[in-house]
Amino acid sequence: MATSREARTTARDATTRGGVIAFGRSAALAPFSSRAQRELLFSLIGVIVSVVGLATIGLVVFPGTAVSAMRGGAILALSFLVLVGSGAARRLGAAGRRLASRLIAEQVPEPPPLRLGRRRSDRVRTRLSDPNGWRALAYLVLKLPLGQLELYAASYWVGFIGLTFPFWWRLFRNHPPGVELSPVGFITPFGWIRAGTFAGAILVFGVSAAMVLAAPWVTRAVVSVDRWLIRVLLGPGKLAIRIRALEETRARAVEDSAATLRRIERDLHDGTQSQLATLAMKLGQAKEKLEHRSELPYDPTGALELVDDAHRQAKETLVELRDIARGIHPPVLDLGLDTALATLVARSAVAATLRFDVPTRPTQAIETIGYFSAAELLANVTKHSHASNAIVEATTNERHLLVRVTDDGIGGARLGKGSGLRGLEDRVRAVDGRLSIVSPPGGPTVVTVDLPLRG
Amino acid sequence: MRVVIAEDAAVMREGLVRLLEDRGHEVTAAVADGDALLRAVAERHPDVAVVDIRMPPTHTDEGLRAALVLRREVPDVGVLVFSQYIETRYATRLLAERSDGVGYLLKDRVADVSEFVDALARVAAGGTALDPEVVRQLLGASRRVAALDATLTPRESEVLALMAEGRSNTAIASALFIGEGAVEKHVANIFAKLGLPLSESDNRRVLAVLRYLEA
Repeated sequence: MATSREARTTARDATTRGGVIAFGRSAALAPFSSRAQRELLFSLIGVIVSVVGLATIGLVVFPGTAVSAMRGGAILALSFLVLVGSGAARRLGAAGRRLASRLIAEQVPEPPPLRLGRRRSDRVRTRLSDPNGWRALAYLVLKLPLGQLELYAASYWVGFIGLTFPFWWRLFRNHPPGVELSPVGFITPFGWIRAGTFAGAILVFGVSAAMVLAAPWVTRAVVSVDRWLIRVLLGPGKLAIRIRALEETRARAVEDSAATLRRIERDLHDGTQSQLATLAMKLGQAKEKLEHRSELPYDPTGALELVDDAHRQAKETLVELRDIARGIHPPVLDLGLDTALATLVARSAVAATLRFDVPTRPTQAIETIGYFSAAELLANVTKHSHASNAIVEATTNERHLLVRVTDDGIGGARLGKGSGLRGLEDRVRAVDGRLSIVSPPGGPTVVTVDLPLRG
Repeated sequence: MRVVIAEDAAVMREGLVRLLEDRGHEVTAAVADGDALLRAVAERHPDVAVVDIRMPPTHTDEGLRAALVLRREVPDVGVLVFSQYIETRYATRLLAERSDGVGYLLKDRVADVSEFVDALARVAAGGTALDPEVVRQLLGASRRVAALDATLTPRESEVLALMAEGRSNTAIASALFIGEGAVEKHVANIFAKLGLPLSESDNRRVLAVLRYLEA
């Protein structure tokens, strides 16, 4: 017992020691990592922007403020209007986005382009009413104090200079005894250290080492604030993102309905129309065999055979036509989703059970999509899963209809390109729904379609 | 006659084979796509090929494209294109250079078996068979339709339409229940009124009428 506990403890110590070494290594290397250096460069550029911006305000706005606060404010407001109205704010924002993407790998999508008129006054009006221009301006204004924080973060990197103190100290400070030299100053984020003796140089070295170790993390913290501002203020904005999503899903919905119409036309063309043309042909042949005036011999037996054929084919065509019609809109849906799903489950090739608990009836469109989702998922179970049992569940959750199909098959279902699931997801997303798949290799597979009750 | 059939719907294909064999014709190959059609025609060299327009793989116009290849490369094999709908542009492409040994019919026409077989025989013999629907659409789209209405008598219009379908004077006469001599007179009048040179062969006059309508 004791030995085994000891062994465990040793093992834990070893892992802890290994962990400490790994941590020490990565902490020591962090200041030299490419990410830290890129973030430092980004901060330094931020410092320049901030200094230039503050200096401009100092030159343009401050003289006004000296006369009266109101005049200073008016000048500031006017410069904001000029920045936004001329499009400069958006252009600067775009530059910021490019810089962030190149240096700190912050990929922010572009806001939608403005539709500018031909006349100058129209262009100015469009730009002034563009929220993205004002958001870019807000970023520029906030960048001024943020640039000062970035300066603070950059100051930690000065520690690299402090680290050299002990190495040159004796070379330059080998003066005869009794000579008073002024101490060498060194700036840290906490204030000046004045080193007059070698011990002072060692102190500078120690503080600098701490600064260098902290530098990447301080930089990262400040830069992450900048990242957040870039995402919020230089991106397309929530409304634009929503519009883009709607445009995408609408395009998909239109495509999907066009594809559905094409499929129906194809089913009718290849199936029903061919069947009916052949049927008419057979009846025409039979008729000619029974007509005395035709040049063909009178042949009632042959005619009966053809009529028999035609009769069988008419019945087949009816079945096919019913299937096509059901594919367009299953009439059983008019009786409610529960009846429709019960029919679907009863017809399923894989043994399936239904659990239905939907107290509030969804809209017709949502019921239809829910039904077709279940039908598609159940068809997938039959085709791909090798399952022997499936469960179809329909439940509600606040304002959502959840349709879930679970099977005990081989798993491994995913949203592949061109898979049926992809098409299903498009249809579901068109009504702001979601499709989620849990299907580890070996199963079980659970696919959930989440639809808003009022689509 | 020796016939090759290209049709992707199996029921239709088998029905056609039975119908033609029932009437003593020989179906040398029945295939389901354009490439197989070209191969079958090259191997069997039939009198006529029946070609569905929409076939695999794309289900658009591969039958028509195969038919155009046949028209160019084996001009002595008649081509009867048939389809579930009529597209006038397809007709104009089929008839672009010459109108001998070509047909374009709606699939529905197989219901009138004898007429269909007659049309097929006409195409096999180097004649023309255009669906009445094709002619109707060509007439409807023609910018000369007002001129035609103004100059031709109703009977002459009927004769013109049947002539455009590629029918012989005998066939026109029996379709309209009039004598062949009367048909000849109507035809001569039509050509005179439209200012077209009267031609002997049925094919030439189909082409002449179609050119007139398209102009």
